[in-house]
Amino acid sequence: MGEDANRPVGLALVAAGVAGGLAALSIGGWTGGEWGPRTVPLLAAATLALAGVAIAASPAARPPRAAGEARVVLLLALAVLYVLGIDRIGYLLATGLAAPAAFALFGVRKPLRLVATAVAVPLALHLAFFRLLGVFPPLGSWFDLLDWVPL
Amino acid sequence: MEIVGGLATVLGSPVLLGWIALAALVGMVVGAIPGLTASAAIAMLLPLTFQMEPLAALAFLYVIGKSGRYGGSIAAILFNTPGTAASTATQIDGHPLARRGLAGKAMKTATVSSVIGDYTGDILLIAFVGGIAWVALRLGPPELFGIYVAAFVVIGSVIGDSPAKGLASAALGVLLATVGFDPITGTPRLTFGVYDLTGGLGLVPLMIGVFVLGEVLTQVVRPADPPRVAEGGGARDTLTWADYRPCLPHVARSSVIGAFIGMLPGLGSAIAAFVAYGEGKRRAANPEEWGHGALEGVAAPEAANNAVSGPSMAPLLTLGIPGSTIGAILVGVFLVHGIQIGPTLFLTNRDLVYALFAAGLVGIAMYGLMGYFGAAAVGRVIARVPARGLYPVVFLIGIVAAYAARGSLFDVWVAIGAGALGWAMRRWGLNPAAFVIAFVLTGGAEQALRQSLLLSDAGAAIFLQRPVALGFLLLGAAVLALRARGARRSLPDGRPT
Repeated sequence: MGEDANRPVGLALVAAGVAGGLAALSIGGWTGGEWGPRTVPLLAAATLALAGVAIAASPAARPPRAAGEARVVLLLALAVLYVLGIDRIGYLLATGLAAPAAFALFGVRKPLRLVATAVAVPLALHLAFFRLLGVFPPLGSWFDLLDWVPL
Repeated sequence: MEIVGGLATVLGSPVLLGWIALAALVGMVVGAIPGLTASAAIAMLLPLTFQMEPLAALAFLYVIGKSGRYGGSIAAILFNTPGTAASTATQIDGHPLARRGLAGKAMKTATVSSVIGDYTGDILLIAFVGGIAWVALRLGPPELFGIYVAAFVVIGSVIGDSPAKGLASAALGVLLATVGFDPITGTPRLTFGVYDLTGGLGLVPLMIGVFVLGEVLTQVVRPADPPRVAEGGGARDTLTWADYRPCLPHVARSSVIGAFIGMLPGLGSAIAAFVAYGEGKRRAANPEEWGHGALEGVAAPEAANNAVSGPSMAPLLTLGIPGSTIGAILVGVFLVHGIQIGPTLFLTNRDLVYALFAAGLVGIAMYGLMGYFGAAAVGRVIARVPARGLYPVVFLIGIVAAYAARGSLFDVWVAIGAGALGWAMRRWGLNPAAFVIAFVLTGGAEQALRQSLLLSDAGAAIFLQRPVALGFLLLGAAVLALRARGARRSLPDGRPT
């Protein structure tokens, strides 16, 4: 089991190192001298690949923790949809939709509480960041509630 | 005597005192919440400080770091769950005391010891940092590059269990730090034609991703159960001079251990706490009680983990090398406010540096008072906040904080990517702290390397011709060899991880 835990991690790092190295080799503006803009990325990529080889070749000191990757994927998907939503329908509405979804993912089930988060969280964050701190809010390209609600 | 001027600045500003008091409270509460670290809180609050005066911003985050280290002891003692990695050693004796109805005594011991340790570290920092900066000012690019390389190797190989995984984490940080225009030639590197990448990956969204979103993603897998409070109280549960007197030698020794470890980049407060605990138990008059509820077993690690705080600022302020994740985050604050860290900081912003130290001294007193009289109340409040209500809020604040740093949705994408990476690193045993510190170090290291080579007639051989540079390169090699040997020995079949 230990061997299995480390090998894919090591191989993934080797792949990342090789990809990084190839990308570094494609860096232009190098005049042929010994040292240039490629040097540090190449050194880092080579270290990454070599460390990956060492990891892949070694047993894990302890087995990885039990994981529930499905929830992680769901939360990441929510984050992606949330940012796309901010870009299209503006910050307020997107947060109003994302907040109850995030609370539900963490186990909040009562509908009234979820509705409360849909209203309270966007308002609180809007007031804190965009009114109090004066950050310019991201406006939706399709629709934005801030065009209709004077907050 | 600059520190006197610094103290006058801090004590003469009610607004600054208010920020320091708020930081002491926020750090204590965040540190006491299992799973939420002071680093996460600082990364999340970083954009809020952009509107503040530089001193207020730095003092606010610096004191959160100090108070957060202390706050971890509350969770360790009351909930049998360390609030931070640094308080894991405190849990060994702290929770058995709480189970015997002596939670108040244990928490007051932790508070007093943390305060003594923190003051020891800060006083040593204030006494010696000027001298270190004086030496640092006389170092040229080759010497600085040697120090950077040693720092990369030490941070990569010492943090965590596996040198290979630590080095891989650091190398990944270096690789991602090179995205954007090359600082010397202006050539775009690793941008793949994406315009938003030409400016590089932002430090603030990267840290919010790794420390905040990465932690939330970890918690969604296994949301923490509501912790149980081990209630104390009663006449026996107060700390007396007779109780604390046997702790004093341990506190003095552990403070020195913590301060020494704090000066070394990458080691951090968790290691200091365990070294102090082990050394304390070895020298204790009552070693059989350690592990079963000895007050000295609470005092030693708490003094050590807080003594780390001040000295860990020495490499950051004098060389621009952050020795900890909190130091790495503070780099972001300095940069945002246009302050160049490194040896010249003591020439250009001397008053600011000593005012920051003074804010640290005041902050210690504040979290000490809050903790001594209010730690039990903080514990009771945290026990009532379920994880399912806390982490979604942290998740949403993390997203908006990543945007707020520069008003850029691209930064939010960076934060989400960094969050996924931070989660994956935790999941598969890589090291997010080494990754972020290496990301921060890369700019200075590359500059030192390229400047050295421009100065040199002998190419890379310049690093072998300069004794200080060579010494640090050899130090890095020796540390790596020792760590690889140690890791090899720790495995039954002798193969290193």
